Amino acid sequence: MDVDKATAVISAAGIELTDRRRNGTDDGWSLSFSNGAVVEIRDNGEVSVSGKGAEVVASHLGLPGKPA
Amino acid sequence: MRTKSAVVICASSLVIGAFGPALAAGNGPGAKAHAGKDTAADLALIDTVVVIYAENRSFDNLYGSFPGANGVAKAPASTRLQRDRDGKPFHELPPVWDGLTAKGVTPPVTQAETEHLPNRPFYLDDPKGFKLSYGTITHDLWHRFYQNQMQINGGRNDKFVAHADSGALVMSLWDGSKTAMWKVAQKYVLADNFFMGAFGGSFLNHQWLVCACAPYYPKADTNPAKPSIAVVEADGVTLKEAPNSPKSAMDGIPKYVADGNLTPDFYAVNTMQPPYQPSGNDPAKDGDKAYADPTKPTTLPPQIEPTIGDLLSLKHITWAWYGGAWQDVLDHGNRSPVPNFQYHHQPLNYYANFAPGAAARAEHLRDGGLAGSEFIKAIDDGKLPQVSFYKPQGDLNEHSGYADIQAGDSHIADVIAHLEKSPQWPHMLVVVTYDENGGLWDHVAPPKGDRWGPGSRIPAIIVSPYARRGYVDHTPMDTTSILRFVTRRFELPTLHGITVRDAAIAAHDEKPLGDLTSALVLKDK
Repeated sequence: MDVDKATAVISAAGIELTDRRRNGTDDGWSLSFSNGAVVEIRDNGEVSVSGKGAEVVASHLGLPGKPA
Repeated sequence: MRTKSAVVICASSLVIGAFGPALAAGNGPGAKAHAGKDTAADLALIDTVVVIYAENRSFDNLYGSFPGANGVAKAPASTRLQRDRDGKPFHELPPVWDGLTAKGVTPPVTQAETEHLPNRPFYLDDPKGFKLSYGTITHDLWHRFYQNQMQINGGRNDKFVAHADSGALVMSLWDGSKTAMWKVAQKYVLADNFFMGAFGGSFLNHQWLVCACAPYYPKADTNPAKPSIAVVEADGVTLKEAPNSPKSAMDGIPKYVADGNLTPDFYAVNTMQPPYQPSGNDPAKDGDKAYADPTKPTTLPPQIEPTIGDLLSLKHITWAWYGGAWQDVLDHGNRSPVPNFQYHHQPLNYYANFAPGAAARAEHLRDGGLAGSEFIKAIDDGKLPQVSFYKPQGDLNEHSGYADIQAGDSHIADVIAHLEKSPQWPHMLVVVTYDENGGLWDHVAPPKGDRWGPGSRIPAIIVSPYARRGYVDHTPMDTTSILRFVTRRFELPTLHGITVRDAAIAAHDEKPLGDLTSALVLKDK
């Protein structure tokens, strides 16, 4: 998933983007949101969600199964 | 009695000294303007103040058709007509990107259904249009510090669409005449010239409600928060556009080089997480479980500016912040869609004076209960402190994206009904307002103030046995007007941010901001 698309989808649900930066290994983006969720979007398209609000955010992104 | 007074004055001096320049002990311009001999006697008729703080509605969005108010019908064509980023008027509004309704709303209003809207405000509940009900949750909209200033565009209010992430949605309105709170506004006072204290979003405006200040992140350029520092043009209010940003709002959402949370001089203006639980950031591994991980880039260091709470405590005035669902979230964690607690809506949880373990935290940061049950119990029992702030839980706050108007409006009207029956009602003042405009267009130019605000116009309803009846108050006010009333009523020192704002307003030859008393008739009954 594209990082801008993911940001737009989550923001549309009233969950504000609070941080956006390249990840520590510089192979993707790390996004933080106001509900505590952290979304990692690798340049190869892999997406994982963690943090307090992970379940809600994963649902908005249509990710299957449990969040990371 | 004389001795007691002397002790209080002495204590005030000590604490004010410790706060340094952040306070002027009752000597700000506002305090001087109201230092009449009869002031205390008149205001003493009010002995209980209640502030109810809802979310994210501009005045025009909800009360733009209120009779007698400066509503949408009075908006000049120059503000109704929106302009693209290059300054040219749109031929039509851009669509609402990804659709008008929130995910899960059935039937959805898709992006395609929002194409080709004329360049003007439109009603979401128009029976010939989208026919939405107050119970519909819509897409959220950007409501951020720099974008709000770019949208206001020097008071022209013609770039709300240009600097938004939600296309036409910023121009949406509701005919609010069937809401329960509309009836409350008809019965008491609706302020139609009341502005949010700060530009942008909930985080900063909650800080303005309690502190009239912008939080600060020391040495942000040498720690993990560094990438959160915004990149701004030389004017200090315009975000630097990214090279790949769409040139026209018709082509998509703007992109910026760095649309961060911190100003280039390290003030926090967009959402940061509280340093204490409940916070969006978990505790550090092996860290204190009552704290948020301080190494996370979005954890704000504890703040040390004095708040209105500190000043009330200084004068031994009882007060509390009632957070809806506060204890439930501490005990069980957050849940969505109910209560959907919002961490950044609890402004005092950012301050060292209210750190876990502090006596002041236990005394003043109280549980509002699920659906406000604990707050309502205090109302019914006549046990409210002299000053109360009530923050409804997420699903009851009217915020776009995750809450609708119906649930929050009904809840607040129910709270008002309880307040009217409270044993404390005969000497009560209630202010119901919104923290900010939620990215929604409003046609009135905010007064020119300081670098932080005021921002866009928001609804405010003043409820009291001493309120004028069926009155629209045109007095210019902002969120700090609530603090001005509390300061004047309880004879507190003036927060530095209010002093600075007064000076800035005066320097721009704007009318002084009111303190709510214009909405009251303070005579013995």
